[in-house]
Amino acid sequence: MRRFLLHRVLLLLPTLFGAVTLVFILIHVVPGDPVEAMLGETASSADKAALARELGLDQPLLTQYVQFLAGMAKGDLGRSLYNQGSVSGLIAARIPATLELTLAAMAVALLIAFPLGVLAATQRGAAADRFALVFSLFGLAIPNFWLGPLLMIVFSIQLGWLPVSGRGGPAHLLLPALTLGTAMAAILTRMIRSGLIETIHEDYIRTARAKGLDERRVWLKHALRNSLISVVTIVGLQFGALLAGSIVTESIFSWPGLGRLTLQAIQTRDYPLVQGCVLAIAFSYLAVNLATDIVYRLIDPRISYED
Amino acid sequence: MKPRAATFLLCLALAFAACARSAGDRPPGALVVALESGPTNLDPRYATDADSERIAALVFDSLARPDRSFRPRPELAETWDTPDDRTLVFHLRRGVKFHDGRDLTAADVAYTYRSALDPQNRSPKRGVLRFIDSVEPEGAYVVRFRLAAPYAPFAEGLSLGIVPQGTPVDGSRLVGSGPFSLEEFRQGERVVLKANASYWNGAPRVSGLVFKIIPDAIVRVLEFRKGTVDLIQNYFEPDMLPWLEQHSRAAISSAQGTNFQYLGMNLEHPILRHREVREAIACAIDRDAIIRHILKDLAVPATGLLAPEHWAYEPAVAPIRFDPERAKQLLDEAGFPDPDGDGPLPRFKLSFKTTNLDLRKRIAEALKEQLARVGIELEVRGYEWGTFYADVKKGNFHLYSLEWIGVVDPDIYYHLFHSASVPPNGNNRGRYRNAEIDALLERGRSEMNVDDRRHIYGEVQRILARDLPYIPLWWWRNVAVMQPTLRGFELYPDGNLISLRKVSFAPPAG
Repeated sequence: MRRFLLHRVLLLLPTLFGAVTLVFILIHVVPGDPVEAMLGETASSADKAALARELGLDQPLLTQYVQFLAGMAKGDLGRSLYNQGSVSGLIAARIPATLELTLAAMAVALLIAFPLGVLAATQRGAAADRFALVFSLFGLAIPNFWLGPLLMIVFSIQLGWLPVSGRGGPAHLLLPALTLGTAMAAILTRMIRSGLIETIHEDYIRTARAKGLDERRVWLKHALRNSLISVVTIVGLQFGALLAGSIVTESIFSWPGLGRLTLQAIQTRDYPLVQGCVLAIAFSYLAVNLATDIVYRLIDPRISYED
Repeated sequence: MKPRAATFLLCLALAFAACARSAGDRPPGALVVALESGPTNLDPRYATDADSERIAALVFDSLARPDRSFRPRPELAETWDTPDDRTLVFHLRRGVKFHDGRDLTAADVAYTYRSALDPQNRSPKRGVLRFIDSVEPEGAYVVRFRLAAPYAPFAEGLSLGIVPQGTPVDGSRLVGSGPFSLEEFRQGERVVLKANASYWNGAPRVSGLVFKIIPDAIVRVLEFRKGTVDLIQNYFEPDMLPWLEQHSRAAISSAQGTNFQYLGMNLEHPILRHREVREAIACAIDRDAIIRHILKDLAVPATGLLAPEHWAYEPAVAPIRFDPERAKQLLDEAGFPDPDGDGPLPRFKLSFKTTNLDLRKRIAEALKEQLARVGIELEVRGYEWGTFYADVKKGNFHLYSLEWIGVVDPDIYYHLFHSASVPPNGNNRGRYRNAEIDALLERGRSEMNVDDRRHIYGEVQRILARDLPYIPLWWWRNVAVMQPTLRGFELYPDGNLISLRKVSFAPPAG
């Protein structure tokens, strides 16, 4: 296991390097001039040229790339072109909001998907199963930009129970978490249902039943646990995607997370901030994937990472 | 195991949530204003976007500020003299204090201007201030500005907010002398200001201001409907106004604004370089129909860049009449006859670049339909903002539409239409060249007499209305949606929020 972890951590480096390189090229290829955005439209060409020189933007792309990598190796992600703040500081300020929303959305998804998935599998063809199917279809089909305002109108405006938007206490968290978690809950419900139905026909389940175990124990202890591997994979991938920032949900709920920061940075061509955000996003993806691999081992002790 | 995992995640999320200060917190007696994207930098030396400038103007006083007709109105400077064409002497108001209790003196004014002019500090205001050769304090309350050359638009530079001497440029210590002090600035989330009870021009009537950044237009309106937002100025789609009128007790007021929407054209294009073609396009556009049906009457047809409120506005320029028959006649005269009469073949084809925003695309479709009626085929191309704007600056377009906001001095014409202002040296994106205009704009820049300047820019406006390097479309109206208890909010033509100093809440009825 230790060797496996070391191997995976070493693999992080080239992956991060690849992601950052790709974004560096893309952001410099798309049109847009940060110098004019910084100095304003009335700036003289001499001032613009001087600032471009000072920021190193007049250098060949390869030189800029090498300078960027050298800064990154020293842990210096540079300064935002617009508000003079350090890129790492700006990203760090957004991470708690992103983590809060991601964790809550994930919790909502699991709290909905597990009971519903298990119920649908155990009562196959019954009303609960049909309800789970309809929920899954709706959950996947309804876009967040529609679901978010719908929940706001019902729970904030009509019933007056919850705040409309913004980040604050637990009450502020509920609607965005529900909006973000619903689609994931829909996917997980279907996966848990199909995983359980597949597992329940395995020989060891028949053996468990033959030993006289009660049905509840057979389903929850034997079948559910063994059908979890594929669920954990999806949860891991989705968790990484949510950490990367759900731009739509963050925008609808005025949630000050990493997704909105990335979007703003791209729109303003704030090169250092875009690169910093992508690095943070790539890192969180990889970290979650690594955690998923570790969870596999915990769920199924038969999985070994030793040679 | 999984219910435990979910509970663990939920607890962790709630722990984060408990640490976050409630965005719904409204300090008692404070007013909440909804913004779309929010300020990026509140330091007046760096504030360039509209939200940053409007909020900074509430925190920082300046020497003078444009009034409703864009003439400089004294603020920190009680008076000023111009001993000669290149010298300005400002006499400062006494007894003005920064929010930290320090006196505001000439040294602070000199420091602010010098620091904005220092190339090391990369201030975007440097371009507007480059006419300043030196700034010297003379005693505690007199500041002498020496100009590099006679420069009539100097008033534009007087609205720079004054910071205390030694204020760093990293935004870590923002102290002003304005009616509100800065309490909290969370970029992309909110800005909280506290009333300055000892403000020299009268303390604000509300205890503070909360600017809440709400990117989604529907959500801004829902927040208003719930009562968690007191005021929205301009930041909503035209379609939402009728809904608000029906479903809330909103007090809605609107007034003429100065934001100018225009149709830009590439004058180096073999078709668009014909003046008759440009006039034909202008005649083929039914502004009234677009304003009524798409903009829901939130705009008025424009005659040019300067709105009627501006001191240099030329009333003799007549609005362009919607006249498709004349448009067809002009196109025939220019040598572009319709190949098949009313048939499907166009006289010629042009592309129109715009952004991907829904409202812009709807306007583009309306223009396409109207131009098609006179035989001009318009191919609408929507782009992401950065790409669109880069193309416009490079001259990589046939037609595009943009708006000018925050026009203060008519010297803007120099940046837009002087032949020396072709990018990258200015914003003459359509590559318009006219020696007569060049000479007038040079005179307007150095003529210090206001009446003479008005005549010069009157002539400029008449020539541009004839040559049509831009086709004026409309001036946007400013609209404020307010809770019915809010009193004292005034709309300014440029959309500034300076009247928030005077707003108050009516006491509850009964």
